[in-house]
Amino acid sequence: MSGSYVEQNHHDALPKTSHDECARQHFVRSFKEHLVTSIHPGLKTAYEKRAKISFQKQHGRDPSDIKDVASVMKHDPHYQAWSSLLRTSQEMMWSAAQIPVERSLRELAASAAKSEGGQGTLRLNGDLKIPDYHTAVDIHCQPGGYHTEYIADDVAQGAIYDRAVYLYAMGQMGPDNADMGDSTVSWLQSQQPDFKPQRILDMGCSVGHSTLPYVTGFPEAEVHGIDVGAPMLRYAHARAKSKDLEVHFSQQNAEKTDFEDESFDLVVSHILLHETSAAAIKNVIKECHRLLKPGGWMVHVETPPYEGMSPFDTFLFDWDSENNNEPFWRRSHELDLQALAEQGGFTEHPTIQVMAPSAFQETQRSMTFQGGDFGGGGVWFLYGCQK
Amino acid sequence: MSASSLDSDTVSLKRKAKGKRPFYFSDSDVDKLLTMVMALAGELSVTRDRLDTVERIAASKNLFSEEDIETFELDSDALEARAARHQILFREITRVISSEIEELDRESSSNYDQVIEMVESEGGRN
Ligand SMILES: C[S@@+](CC[C@H](N)C(=O)[O-])C[C@H]1O[C@@H](n2cnc3c(N)ncnc32)[C@H](O)[C@@H]1O
Repeated sequence: MSGSYVEQNHHDALPKTSHDECARQHFVRSFKEHLVTSIHPGLKTAYEKRAKISFQKQHGRDPSDIKDVASVMKHDPHYQAWSSLLRTSQEMMWSAAQIPVERSLRELAASAAKSEGGQGTLRLNGDLKIPDYHTAVDIHCQPGGYHTEYIADDVAQGAIYDRAVYLYAMGQMGPDNADMGDSTVSWLQSQQPDFKPQRILDMGCSVGHSTLPYVTGFPEAEVHGIDVGAPMLRYAHARAKSKDLEVHFSQQNAEKTDFEDESFDLVVSHILLHETSAAAIKNVIKECHRLLKPGGWMVHVETPPYEGMSPFDTFLFDWDSENNNEPFWRRSHELDLQALAEQGGFTEHPTIQVMAPSAFQETQRSMTFQGGDFGGGGVWFLYGCQK
Repeated sequence: MSASSLDSDTVSLKRKAKGKRPFYFSDSDVDKLLTMVMALAGELSVTRDRLDTVERIAASKNLFSEEDIETFELDSDALEARAARHQILFREITRVISSEIEELDRESSSNYDQVIEMVESEGGRN
């Protein structure tokens, strides 16, 4: 591994860390790596050699779904230790990212507010209602979620998120956390070489990790990003400016935006859908259909559906549902995506549901999806449809 | 130095994610202990990294010897800075305990099962 350690790229909006603050963050990354490489593999052994056998003894058959697996694994000491440590690593990750922000927030907010560079814009709407599926619990355990504001011109949640995503993915999404956007741009360019979008919308853009690849990948296009969280957008705007890239950010709910009918060639999202709800996801797909010009594409990047996974793999991959404040994770991985698109108006073409290779190839790839190894799979699941 | 996170200019952020914190062992105290041990390991690692930095710089510049370290006398400012740093260390180690109180202090949190029901309900409000 020598010489291959991927550190996050610096940019002007990123909080500065002291020596120890940075060391504390790197420790969390190492902790997560340790869980993936050294603790996670033992789960399979614990299951095969212990939990499954005890299930078979009790029931006279193999476990056949995630409830069966859960009924024995939740009592398995290795699973308990892994879960306990993974939950702890998640809490330490947020804490380690919060510490420098807590100390320097006023400065960060002031410097974001006067950031310069690029032609991008920022349009906030203080009256926008934050959806209940965001305020009910703090998604993936970020204290305060995407929306909490502590001071005027607040950027705290965005600044914390930027660093935490890097730690969460252990650098596996590249130095700009851009792998989902980069991979989707590459996929579009290789699969649809004649598709030249002029206007692009990224829904649920957060701090713009996945948005910026569209600016560089389609230099002739006008790129928009929307999110419900104001601190995310302020930070995204400052970050884009510091990289001299033009994005038009606005605070809007993807279920219902103020853009005109048929005004985009490409509408994308990256890990947005699983953080909504059964009611909201339908509205989002409908909104994509409304916004697209005929012939335009919607593409949503997610982790793959549960269908076809073994009960054991599903059980582990489902860990976030109950353990990392992702209440819609499970149901969103079980949806009939073809039907969802059709209900939203996409009846012209069949959906695409494909695994696209990661654009960031420098790390070791497991080529599987496992809890606690975000971005380590080396592939992303793309769900989309042409209008 | 990170001692500054105790300064009055600090904006204090929520430290506990809203939502019931799951525990995994039959006795949740084991989980808490494990969390504290990991926090300790983290802080130990931070310290070791810092020392490593110092030693590398010192070696590259032929700056000081081991004996210099053994005989060094700390003045009052240095002691005060260290004490402040210890407070941060303790806050990190006992985070799991204080976050329970933060949760207790907060207006009622919704029941997590109700949240799943809410987001899964097709006719639900958004
Ligand atoms: C996991 S983050 C997305 C990460 C980002 N797309 C990326 O690739 O870096 C989910 C984001 O979606 C936003 N979000 C959730 N529901 C939304 C909605 N209905 N409308 C707009 N944004 C939403 C959240 O505020 C959050 O910033």
